[in-house]
Amino acid sequence: MTLLDGALWPYLLVILAGFLPTEIWRSLAVVFVRGLQEDSEILVLVRCVATALLAAVVARLVLLPPGELLVVPLALRIAAVACGFVVYLIAWRSVFLGILSGELFIIGSAWYFG
Amino acid sequence: MSESSASPPVPAGDPHVSGGRWALRGAWAAAKSVQGIVLFASFVGFGGLIQDVGFPLGAAILSTLLVWALPAQVLLVGGYAAGSAAPVIALAVGLSSVRLFPMAAAILPYLRSARQGIGIQFLAAHFVAVTAWIEGMRRLPGMAGEGRLPFFFGLSSTFVLMSMVATAVGFYLAGELPRALAIGLLFLTPLSFLIQLSHNARDFVDRLALAFGLLLAPLFAAYGGRLDLLWTGLVGGGAAWAVHWFLRRRHKGGGS
Repeated sequence: MTLLDGALWPYLLVILAGFLPTEIWRSLAVVFVRGLQEDSEILVLVRCVATALLAAVVARLVLLPPGELLVVPLALRIAAVACGFVVYLIAWRSVFLGILSGELFIIGSAWYFG
Repeated sequence: MSESSASPPVPAGDPHVSGGRWALRGAWAAAKSVQGIVLFASFVGFGGLIQDVGFPLGAAILSTLLVWALPAQVLLVGGYAAGSAAPVIALAVGLSSVRLFPMAAAILPYLRSARQGIGIQFLAAHFVAVTAWIEGMRRLPGMAGEGRLPFFFGLSSTFVLMSMVATAVGFYLAGELPRALAIGLLFLTPLSFLIQLSHNARDFVDRLALAFGLLLAPLFAAYGGRLDLLWTGLVGGGAAWAVHWFLRRRHKGGGS
């Protein structure tokens, strides 16, 4: 087990537990779309599932965040996302201003509670 | 500072623009985008995280190149720090990365080329991650067919390169940053995903999928077990598509 305890282990872990389980989904997609047209109705469904999945990732990272983000109470984490989103909508749909205001909100909250 | 209108419309089928030029355009689009800045900052946050848990920098940079999906990388490093067994980490990473399948499947039809073999398709699929997907889905459909693939490679490889540098920057900056700022970097991923997704959701069906996903996620997180993300995607995305299908069918007067 010298290999598993050695300095190489994190690199092996990246390949076995990181690269392979992510790349398999991307590779399956290559096989899946062969012969499908750009405007195929199945691809609209696939896009919807991808969008809903990403939305779920967002919700999970806000509700059950990793590590240090827990310093900021849940209500304020939700408020920070809402703040960024509302500013994005009223600031001529500016991605930059939306993200900036949400960040200022969370950094301010973290500074107050930290 | 939205750059949706900043780039000039791409002339359809311009024969004078070579593949290399298209790749450079993609690289330039990545380098000057808001998404690029956000991505860089997010990976600075990741670099700080690996310094915290004692994960080697080389392996982390390798994970940025090979895994190329920040939530999966955070899981991997978190599992390493917790001393989890490799198969357990692999399972968690695999479950959290199911989204890559529909994402890659949605963008790959825009990246087909008659001249290139299927190997190029696997390489293109590897570069699919949230940022490159969102930028690609926004730009590719209106672009000339032969420019799409080199443009996407230029765009996404620049994003990868920036993120590898950012991982190292974060590693060396860790401990130097005020705590509130480090927390702000961790928050960038959910905040920027949401706003960029909204920015991209032009059709009603996309907005519906986004809203359903956000609303269903807490429900499935509480009751859905370990597959909660997958259930949210399938049920939320499926419901959005069903509404879209129903409305269109009624619009057509009941014909199929």
